[in-house]
Amino acid sequence: MEKNVAYIALFAALIAVLGLVPQITLATGVPITAQSLGVMLCGTVLGARRGFLAVLLFVALVALGLPLLSGGRGGLGVFSSPTVGFVIGFPVAAFVAGLVVEKWRVGLGIASFAGAILGGVLVLYLFGITGMAVVLGKSWPAASLLVGAYIPGDLIKAGMAGFITQGLARLRPHAVLSRG
Amino acid sequence: MPNLSPLSDDPGLILRDASFALSGRVILSGLDLHLTERRIGIIGRNGSGKTTFLRLLAGLIAPSTGSVTVGGVDPAKDRKAMLGLLGILFQNPDHQIIFPTVGEELAFGLRQQGLDKAAALAKTRALLHAHGRAHWEAEPVTALSQGQRHFLCLLSVLAMGPRTILLDEPFAGLDLPTQARLTRSLADLPQRLITITHDPAALQGYDRVIWLEAGRLRADGRVDAVVPAFTAEMARLGEADADTDLAL
Amino acid sequence: MLTLTSPFETPLHRLPAGLKLAALALASIGLMAMQSLWALGVAGVAVVCLYLAFGRGFAGYGLRLLRPLWPFVLIIALWHGWTGEFAAGGIIAGRLLLAVALANLVTMTTRLEDMMTLVERLARPLARFGLSPRVLAVAVALVVRFTPVLMDKAGQLMQAWRARSARRVNWRIVLPISLMALDEADHVAEAIRARGGLSGP
Ligand SMILES: Nc1ncnc2c1ncn2[C@@H]1O[C@H](COP(=O)(O)OP(=O)(O)OP(=O)(O)O)[C@@H](O)[C@H]1O
Ligand SMILES: [Mg+2]
Repeated sequence: MEKNVAYIALFAALIAVLGLVPQITLATGVPITAQSLGVMLCGTVLGARRGFLAVLLFVALVALGLPLLSGGRGGLGVFSSPTVGFVIGFPVAAFVAGLVVEKWRVGLGIASFAGAILGGVLVLYLFGITGMAVVLGKSWPAASLLVGAYIPGDLIKAGMAGFITQGLARLRPHAVLSRG
Repeated sequence: MPNLSPLSDDPGLILRDASFALSGRVILSGLDLHLTERRIGIIGRNGSGKTTFLRLLAGLIAPSTGSVTVGGVDPAKDRKAMLGLLGILFQNPDHQIIFPTVGEELAFGLRQQGLDKAAALAKTRALLHAHGRAHWEAEPVTALSQGQRHFLCLLSVLAMGPRTILLDEPFAGLDLPTQARLTRSLADLPQRLITITHDPAALQGYDRVIWLEAGRLRADGRVDAVVPAFTAEMARLGEADADTDLAL
Repeated sequence: MLTLTSPFETPLHRLPAGLKLAALALASIGLMAMQSLWALGVAGVAVVCLYLAFGRGFAGYGLRLLRPLWPFVLIIALWHGWTGEFAAGGIIAGRLLLAVALANLVTMTTRLEDMMTLVERLARPLARFGLSPRVLAVAVALVVRFTPVLMDKAGQLMQAWRARSARRVNWRIVLPISLMALDEADHVAEAIRARGGLSGP
């Protein structure tokens, strides 16, 4: 029990840290935040259920007023702003990513990459675009136009999630609970 | 050393042929010990297995073979029963502190022992007051220095009043006045103390010393028998090329 | 400290958290129902007055919290400037700003402890499904404690990186940061175990 709680809480903190750590720069020179990478890792490392709970804890703390979203955002206002869909989609994204890693028994790196794409990009953007369309009063295609520019960066992050999950499994085999 | 009544109704800590291995690597082996004394010291070189031995006693790890009992209870199984029997001070305070503020950290153990919120808070305040640290209650733990955090960890163990306290290098990182004060408050404790130390002088007044070497018992007995042999051996190794021994 | 609660004490701080949340829910629904710029304008003046009533420092802090919205307001302005539906654009932008400002007002005037007390009370029925409010409280405390710790260590890692590399810190730093989170989780699990663990009565 305490192990589960500790992992869930520390990964919630990890998402926050990855959002606050600035200036991770891609080869192209575009700075990105690694926050959604943190969400992907919750799923691929902790598995569907624990990953979901870790991200849910993170989102709940954002709602309660902790400035844990990238750029130091937080509070209830987040849930009225155009990015609400992404925040609500975070836990589901982690769940789907974790589910892929648990069920698809290929190499951990490949499964994590696939899970991160399916959960951390596809599912997440479904939520995100829907939220944006609703809040901004735009059609779905128009809203997807607004966020489309970020998709390549997130695909790259899915690749990183694959490498990192594999690396963690090599260094701390006992800690990768998604394949425990 | 205060003259204290013996812990007569306490069966002590018993290890029967206990060993501990981690992924095939044997870290502790062949430990047969019956610990009943009030002041017990653990000595040995870096990596000899002292911390692992303490974690085994505390039930944080279970023996790979053999058995460990504390006061007749298996410490790895019955965690709740252990709370009143045994407390442990970790070597690294940052691995021990769970909560963001001093008050919450102290109250946690008390609530684990079944006190309600108000009672835990009252006891926390009283304890801080008794140690002249009343102003610490709302302080974030990150605002304390390393030595102060170490002291907080000791307070949170003392708050729970366990019969036996395991101390993993309690003086590491403390300045001399704090060491002296801590030595005095430890000496006055009625509890059984099992202390890991690298400083032979800290074992003055102890009843028994256990010397671990490569996960086995190298020597076990009275301070005046074990400590001189240990000091001589450490001095001899210091003369020799010590680097070869640091290799894993 | 790690929270958005305003350092300027206001009378709203003393209202129960549950009441403020209920009021926020109602107000948000009300905002969504507003169809005219006039109504939104009146609501806007009311919200601005509400903020100003608690002092200029407080209002300034509230304004800063709205800053992340500017790209979206810009997008709406461009879009509706292009299509010529100015009123519709004004309504969307106004609703957005007001809804976020009201929600921020609750966040700014409610301490984390008060929120937690409310959450623990609301979560009590979940105990039947094995989620005890106490475990929830411990989990929250752990995040509050370890976010700064991990932040700090991540900062040290990046310094160590720069000390030995001419290249900028890149995504590879995420692996050691995640590793720290895992190790820290193992330590904290052991620390909780050392004090009786979380399962059982
Ligand atoms: N989690 C672990 N994984 C692998 N090896 C470990 C682990 N913990 C301890 N060891 C190994 O067990 C041996 C004993 O370690 P332990 O920490 O008990 O030593 P120690 O006597 O407390 O040393 P020190 O004086 O440096 O604190 C060491 O060789 C160490 O490398
Ligand atoms: Mg040690």
